[in-house]
Amino acid sequence: MKTAIHTLARGLGLALVVLAASTAQAHHSFAMFDNDHQIKLSGTVADFKWQNPHVYIWLNAPNEKGEMKTWMIECANPGILNRVGWKFNMIKPNDKLTVIVAPLRTGEPGALLKQMKLADGTKMENGGPAGPPNIPID
Amino acid sequence: MRRHLILAAPLLAAALLAGHAVAADAPATPPKSTAPFDPRSFDGTWDRYPLPTDAQRDPTTLAVPRPADVPPPPLKPQYRPEWEAKRKKIQEANARGEPIANEYTACMPDGMPTMMQAMFPMEVVTNKRQMTIIQEAYNQVRRIYFNEKLPAAEDAEPGFWGHSAGHWEGDTLVVDTVGIKDYVLFRDVPHSANMRINERMKMLDANHFENTVTVTDPEYLEKPWTWKWIYQRRPNYKMYEYVCEQNHEFADPTTGAQRMKITPPPSKK
Repeated sequence: MKTAIHTLARGLGLALVVLAASTAQAHHSFAMFDNDHQIKLSGTVADFKWQNPHVYIWLNAPNEKGEMKTWMIECANPGILNRVGWKFNMIKPNDKLTVIVAPLRTGEPGALLKQMKLADGTKMENGGPAGPPNIPID
Repeated sequence: MRRHLILAAPLLAAALLAGHAVAADAPATPPKSTAPFDPRSFDGTWDRYPLPTDAQRDPTTLAVPRPADVPPPPLKPQYRPEWEAKRKKIQEANARGEPIANEYTACMPDGMPTMMQAMFPMEVVTNKRQMTIIQEAYNQVRRIYFNEKLPAAEDAEPGFWGHSAGHWEGDTLVVDTVGIKDYVLFRDVPHSANMRINERMKMLDANHFENTVTVTDPEYLEKPWTWKWIYQRRPNYKMYEYVCEQNHEFADPTTGAQRMKITPPPSKK
């Protein structure tokens, strides 16, 4: 059974690669981010830029080793985010923020947003083809 | 981690399927327009159809059948190997996690015919002289002039959206477009100055219209390349502006890979 599940998972993994490749035709590829090893970061917003082609959050948060880093987190664009319920002024410097992100494969402190939780507990997703989180935010 | 991966794989697959070539932010059940049905008006705001939610539904429950995928281009045999090699290189780079930077990395808009795949919502505004189509992504605008003669290929100033002329055949708006820059490509398919894009736009019901696109190019294609896109009304939507003002993604000057430029918070500079 375990082997069957693993085979299925591998098959789906391959399907994901193919789909990711074809999805890239629509806009751009997210392959530089490691979707399979998403991480949770909790910290303080250093800055927030509401602009095209991507909205960015700069977040001061410790990495998995406990070292403080300033993460640059790529979000969808203002149009997509507005349509899934974001607002241009919903994040401000010094806000507390928890996020699930897919980090850059290069190891640099950059990442793609999957989900975020604001200080008041509101949860938001990134919208668009970036895809949902695969680890819990709570 | 492995367990997470296994559990997440079907979800991710579904999400990617859902997001495939369509903005995944469309409402699950969009409000229907109450405007009277006019088979000769495409005015309004539109999403590409099917919506992600419809893409996963039983096709027999859909009001409008889903269009087939865009087929591979019927390139002449001498151009096929290069195109296939390019596509393979892109897929392999994605699989390695080192995607190749593309025109979007440089903030370039789609141009024609890619614009009509409607990555983001699209607005149509018509007056007596022209039909104007606005694509939210990259603030793209194309203008289709009615009952106008197209310039000959050698006189058509190349652009991203070219020159478009439209006329009615019954309730079908037939649009021809020439004059696309040679580096404005759909699916990486090369074309000559003699490429012509023919579109047949037809309202299917009050909330859907189809666009049958046929690309001909005597130099590169051995036969016409045809597919269909369908759009679903998104009533009362107000289009957002889109200026590609600062992309933190860039093309690595050595490898050509798409990378992200890590910068300090702007306010700290």
